[in-house]
Amino acid sequence: MLFQTWSFLVFFAVAYPLYLLIKGTRLRLPFLLAISYVFYAWLDPWYLVPIIYTSIVDYLVVAAMARYRRKGLWLFVSIANSLILLGAFKYGVFITDNLNALLSTLNLSLTLPTPSRMLPAGLSFFLFQSMGYVIDSYRGNVPREKSFVAHAVFVAFFPRLLAGPIERAGNLFPQLHEIPGIKGGDIAEGLSLFVVGLFKKIALADYLALYVSKVYAAPGEYQSPALILATVLFAWQIYFDFSGYTDMARGIARMMGIRLMLNFNNPYLATSLGEFWGRWHISLSSWFKDYVYIPLGGNRKGNFNTYRNIFLTMVLSGLWHGAAWTFVLWGAIHAIGRFATREMERTAFYRDRVPKCAKQAFVFAIVAFAWIFFRAESTSDAWLIVTRIFSSGLADPYCPLMALGLIAAVWCYQFAFESPLRWALQIRGVRIATVILMLAFLAVFTPSSEQAFIYMQF
Amino acid sequence: MESSPATDANSNAVFLSGRQWLIVGAAMLILVVTAPTLWQRVELFEPGADYRIPYKLGSDYWLYARHSHEARDQRRIPLIGDSVIWGHYVPPDQTLSHHLNAALGSEQFANLGLDGTHPAALGGLVEHYAGEISGQSVVIHFNPLWITSAKHDLQTAKEFHFNHPKLVPQFTTKIPCYKASTASRLKTAIGHHIPFLAWTAHLRIAYFDGADLQRWTLQNPYACPAAALTSGLPSPESTAPDEGSSWLDRGGKQRRIGWVDLDGSLQWRFFQNTVKRVQDQGGKVFVLVGPYNEHMLDAESAATYGQIKEEIEAWLQEAKIPHLIPPPLPSALYADSSHPLAEGYALLAQQLLKDPSFQSFAR
Repeated sequence: MLFQTWSFLVFFAVAYPLYLLIKGTRLRLPFLLAISYVFYAWLDPWYLVPIIYTSIVDYLVVAAMARYRRKGLWLFVSIANSLILLGAFKYGVFITDNLNALLSTLNLSLTLPTPSRMLPAGLSFFLFQSMGYVIDSYRGNVPREKSFVAHAVFVAFFPRLLAGPIERAGNLFPQLHEIPGIKGGDIAEGLSLFVVGLFKKIALADYLALYVSKVYAAPGEYQSPALILATVLFAWQIYFDFSGYTDMARGIARMMGIRLMLNFNNPYLATSLGEFWGRWHISLSSWFKDYVYIPLGGNRKGNFNTYRNIFLTMVLSGLWHGAAWTFVLWGAIHAIGRFATREMERTAFYRDRVPKCAKQAFVFAIVAFAWIFFRAESTSDAWLIVTRIFSSGLADPYCPLMALGLIAAVWCYQFAFESPLRWALQIRGVRIATVILMLAFLAVFTPSSEQAFIYMQF
Repeated sequence: MESSPATDANSNAVFLSGRQWLIVGAAMLILVVTAPTLWQRVELFEPGADYRIPYKLGSDYWLYARHSHEARDQRRIPLIGDSVIWGHYVPPDQTLSHHLNAALGSEQFANLGLDGTHPAALGGLVEHYAGEISGQSVVIHFNPLWITSAKHDLQTAKEFHFNHPKLVPQFTTKIPCYKASTASRLKTAIGHHIPFLAWTAHLRIAYFDGADLQRWTLQNPYACPAAALTSGLPSPESTAPDEGSSWLDRGGKQRRIGWVDLDGSLQWRFFQNTVKRVQDQGGKVFVLVGPYNEHMLDAESAATYGQIKEEIEAWLQEAKIPHLIPPPLPSALYADSSHPLAEGYALLAQQLLKDPSFQSFAR
């Protein structure tokens, strides 16, 4: 079920009052689990199989860790199980395609059968969340969750199920066990988050997608200005799409008395790639930091090892997004960008003399360049776009001025938000007028959307 | 790896308090309730005697409701039906309503036909967008075309994209070939009860070439949407969407028709329900059936059609509904299986005006 559909509206209109009625009773968690499964099964009932399986396995693994001595073995079982699931559903086709290409290159007649392409929505999100809990349990950072229902709700809590944030056990379990004291302020703030997310998704992301999809579907037919604008528009499309989902997820959870973590913090105002990853998909980048980068050694063993660790982490992060070489290249470009901005920050000239807005523009340029590889259908398409950006003509891009105007408005808002002018955005009349304008625009000019969220496929 | 504290203070969402949400809610309620009414005052709409919903605005149900309202205000008898009533192969001044008015020398009838509709859609149109006709005299047309095959009768199990899907029942009656998602059905069903949503669809259809604003800007990247909105309602086309020529000019061969059994027909049931609905609302109904182009039927199909007409007539008589099932028009006056050409409409108007039950109905 998608947040922006009428189905969800009806689902929530029925489920929420019931939730408010039973939130103080023992039925709360079973009810949360039931509505989470209904929400997920609405997309495809078969999706319930891997999520229930993961919940059972990781619940038993953590129980076994508490009971038996060889905790490492149980951790291995859980991680191997998660990786097998990822391999089966997400990377199976990628791995067999590449192995078959290798076998063909070696002139071997053997061909491996291609596995099913069915990928449960949000698979990587709930697997990584569950994996994080198992690792935290192994490290002794969180107590064992004894209730299977609470554990299953932790894995399947519906607002964050399809595209995160990837919550931590230390944040979510205590909230699941507390009786939520939902006040008017929680509902008001939840609604505020939801409306902003809805506007980002329907009015902005789905709008920009129209131009981006047109250009990226046939990059050979477009010249430099159109390809550059489509890339810039995609940078904002994916931001609006993903952060819009997160805002809506956080808003719904907030109305239910649960605070999910912030996942985006004006990422295109970052002045370095390192800072960008502290602002973009925060729950994933902090997951990789805690469970991959630091265990690899972090920045403790000199420059070479630091850069090696950053490179490995970023490439793995790329692979987390999708099973294709384009995602690997996307991760590698970010790693190289991080080396570059890290080294530049070490020079006094760059650190002290280069204006902040120039740094922001430079970081945005690197990020946008990397998005080419993320969005392109294949590595050859990505390469075609890059070469045509630098070598083709200057034909009129026919890019809607309204799209550029909306992006400019959001950029200005975010600049103001992080500047001394922030007070102007806090004026009551300005906030009320902004929300009315957003809702009026949604109500009058945007069709209801059933476009899936980009990150659901990960 | 640097990171920023992930707290709500960093979120740039526009947070409002409960009281502020009440203000926003009130403002939105005012917008939703008043915008369509205010727009009616701004948008010039003066349908003349031969006005029919423009072909390219065929799915603008808000405009249809407005047209229906105007017809009631002008005390005209609406003619409701599909493209036969609308006049697919003739210009607006050659339709059935025009010829009826011309013969009577007064503007007594209004063309409330809608191109592309069929009985299943007509039911939704009458239920949701022609409320103004309740308690009025109404002529409803039944086109036998819709029972000429399982496909026309919407009975194929395979998905089939028919016209005006938003007007058919979304949940109450199962239409085998209609496979819309639950979300889409829900949206449509809710939309029928909120005039504001029909009005926003009107803006899209009438001013943005049938697309939403976003898609329109893709086609017109440098145009100003506000200028498009103030450009005025598109005028009705003065010509027919398809040039009318006799079916005989195109070969005119007889064919066999796989008539659907009337008792099992979805379209016939929808038609019956529509007639009953108008009657239940205090309306006085006159039913016109056909005239179907019987010249194109082979002997067996013609015989079956004869039985179908008898069954239709029996139901109309039993329900005490004044009606006319006219004999077929001369063969050369048909454009296809069911659409008359201009002279055909003139002849049909004469047949109607000579019919005693119609005279009594229209009096």
